[in-house]
Amino acid sequence: MISIDSSVMQTKTIDLVNLPVDDTALEIRNLDLHYGNKQALFDVSMKIPKKQVTAFIGPSGCGKSTLLRCINRMNDLIDNCKIDGEILLHGNNIYDKKVDVAALRRNVGMVFQRPNPFPKSIYENVVYGLRLQGLNNRRELDEAAERSLRGAAIWDEVKDRLHDNAFGLSGGQQQRLVIARAIAIEPEVLLLDEPTSALDPISTLTIEELISDLKQEYTVVIVTHNMQQAARVSDQTAFMYMGELVEYADTNTIFTTPKKRKTEDYITGRYG
Amino acid sequence: MGKWFKSGSPWIWMTGGAVSICLIAVLGLLLLIASRGLSYFWPADIYQWQLEDNDGVKSTLIGEIYNREVVPTERLISAGHKFTKHPGEFVTRYLVKTGNREFVGLDFRWILGTNIVSRSLPAEVAKLERTKNGDFYGYPIAVIENGKRLALNDEAAIETSLVSHIDRAVAIADEALELQKSDIGTINYQMERLRLKERGYELDGQLTDARKIEINAQAEQLHQDYLVLEKELFALRDKAARDAVIVKDMRGVEVSLPLDSILDVSYVNHMSLLDKVGQWFVGIGRFVSNDPREANTEGGVFPAIFGTVFMVLLMAVIVTPFGVIAAIYLHEYAKKGPITKLIRIAVINLAGVPSIVYGVFGLGFFVYMMGGSIDQLFFPEALPSPTFGSPGVLWSALTLAILTLPVVIVSTEEGLSRIPSAVRQGSLALGATKAETLWRIVIPMASPAIMTGLILAVARAAGEVAPLMLVGVVKLAPTLPIDMNFPFVHLERKFMHLGFHIYDVGFQSPNVEAARPLVYATSFLLVSVIVALNLTAISVRNHLREKFRSLEH
Repeated sequence: MISIDSSVMQTKTIDLVNLPVDDTALEIRNLDLHYGNKQALFDVSMKIPKKQVTAFIGPSGCGKSTLLRCINRMNDLIDNCKIDGEILLHGNNIYDKKVDVAALRRNVGMVFQRPNPFPKSIYENVVYGLRLQGLNNRRELDEAAERSLRGAAIWDEVKDRLHDNAFGLSGGQQQRLVIARAIAIEPEVLLLDEPTSALDPISTLTIEELISDLKQEYTVVIVTHNMQQAARVSDQTAFMYMGELVEYADTNTIFTTPKKRKTEDYITGRYG
Repeated sequence: MGKWFKSGSPWIWMTGGAVSICLIAVLGLLLLIASRGLSYFWPADIYQWQLEDNDGVKSTLIGEIYNREVVPTERLISAGHKFTKHPGEFVTRYLVKTGNREFVGLDFRWILGTNIVSRSLPAEVAKLERTKNGDFYGYPIAVIENGKRLALNDEAAIETSLVSHIDRAVAIADEALELQKSDIGTINYQMERLRLKERGYELDGQLTDARKIEINAQAEQLHQDYLVLEKELFALRDKAARDAVIVKDMRGVEVSLPLDSILDVSYVNHMSLLDKVGQWFVGIGRFVSNDPREANTEGGVFPAIFGTVFMVLLMAVIVTPFGVIAAIYLHEYAKKGPITKLIRIAVINLAGVPSIVYGVFGLGFFVYMMGGSIDQLFFPEALPSPTFGSPGVLWSALTLAILTLPVVIVSTEEGLSRIPSAVRQGSLALGATKAETLWRIVIPMASPAIMTGLILAVARAAGEVAPLMLVGVVKLAPTLPIDMNFPFVHLERKFMHLGFHIYDVGFQSPNVEAARPLVYATSFLLVSVIVALNLTAISVRNHLREKFRSLEH
């Protein structure tokens, strides 16, 4: 067993199998995904609780990013990707034909591995999502921008240069800007795809602290290949291997008393 | 030696050499055209020769030297020329512009060096630039004001008086021209519109008697206005022709020239260097701002400049949206199948079609088919005289737009493909639709590439002449496509074009020698106009590049 500092462990244990509907943010039911002939996800089912941090961990190529991208239908952009099964948000299947994908993505935000700010000013980056929705009142946009930048713990660093180009920021700052941009439109769910793997340790720490704050408002699902980060940050952890969901439980259990052999092998470092 | 080859240096020399050769070729071309063309405006010395030909006949010749040639004597002898004294192996001969076209028959003449007895640079000989019949060389000896010969004692007084009287005549003539072009032109335009209105009613069967009376009344009013203006115009013209100058030409004959036909007098031989430089600039200024005269062999090329720039801008406005939208469709929306491949191949092949074929297509499709339909639908009262059913600036711009479309499409697609998908995905993840992502993020980021396409399109279109000859360019257009008459922009009018002007002046003019320096000057001007258009577009592109510099990190 790896030693985990118990002070950072989440102590509340939730019953993930019989999660009540009011506490469920998302339910994934029997999800299969094929890239052409190759199957990448095998019958994944899980319930993700509201306002908690859920981590997907696993070795490279196990399908965790793919699963994450299914939740806001970013896999639709890939041509030969076929999806069977359901993902329920508020009890409605997001893969239903009648679903407005743009509206879904306003509700389920995503932050990518490499920071991808737009070639605009910091202010314009943050209010981009709001302008899309037709909000053009200067004062309202200013308030939203300040709120989001504070929420992403970057307000003090950029408040004097809101109209400078976003590319003048450092990597860690850009990633926090992207997080601000994502929370500006007030989604319900925030998907973070390895948000700190391209950043230095200090920035990583700042963002991890940010994630702990974010879960007050948003349901956070984070994909990470850094086990210690998953242990530090998440309430629930799902371990995936070769496209299958191997084990899914609260973080404490996964990292101290995993039930499956594969899980134990992974977290003890037998393979990476 | 082998080491030098291996180090890669030969490649650097080769590529550097190739670039240098290109630059030298371009600069050399520009310098050649510039020197030949701009030297046309430099006030040249006016010489006076005493000639004696082989039969002993003496004559006087006044003029400018345009060219000199060294010819082998053998050639002259075999052509039938007889020499009293054998001049050696070579003979120099000079091409002299003598002007005075209506008095001496040929206004350019070759004289042999052997026939020259003496040559001088008289101080008081002047060159008079005229509105008709070209330049006149001679000695102004008197100024006649209102029929009375002015008592002027010396040359300087004559010069001053002449200059002031010419200025007066030119000012009045300009006033008359303005009256004719704008005021009378407006009346003519309104009369035409009235006629079309009447015809329109007639076609609709709605020409009631009341309307007929009203229209007649308006026509009568316009006619009265016209008569008033016409009277004014004739008065001005008479006023301009009040004075005259008496000039002694090279035959010794005193010729009286009315001042309304004279534009300028220059006593070139006693002008200081500073005066000559000033005159040079004035000449260039006149060249780019005046209208042409004498079947395009004299005067300025302003309508051609205007027509070229206007048409190119119109073409740019047409081709950019079409090209960008086509490129966006091909790159973003089209499914990657055989049909898309076919479309791409077709686009690329469009670039290889000879431009004259575009001219023929433009004539058939745009001018006759589309123009004819527009005439039937919107201008039936003007028929059988075509409005849009004949070549014009709109059809020219459209033809060139199709010609340059492939360049814009390819360039835009190139730009679109260089945008990293991370930025697109970021936008989509925020709930933007594909169209919103394109409009707000992708197209602004691709704008430098779009500008590149536009630059290439403008460069190509500004130089194309062949298709334009079929779809809208004329030798002489009486009006510009933009004037003060509603609707102010007349897209059905024919226009003049610098490229066609070069062709016309160089090959179609009645007086080749007079025209040749003008061809160089117009070529230089065309190159300058294209360079100016390109530099504008390039600076816009650089500004856009800085704005979206982000990506290159």
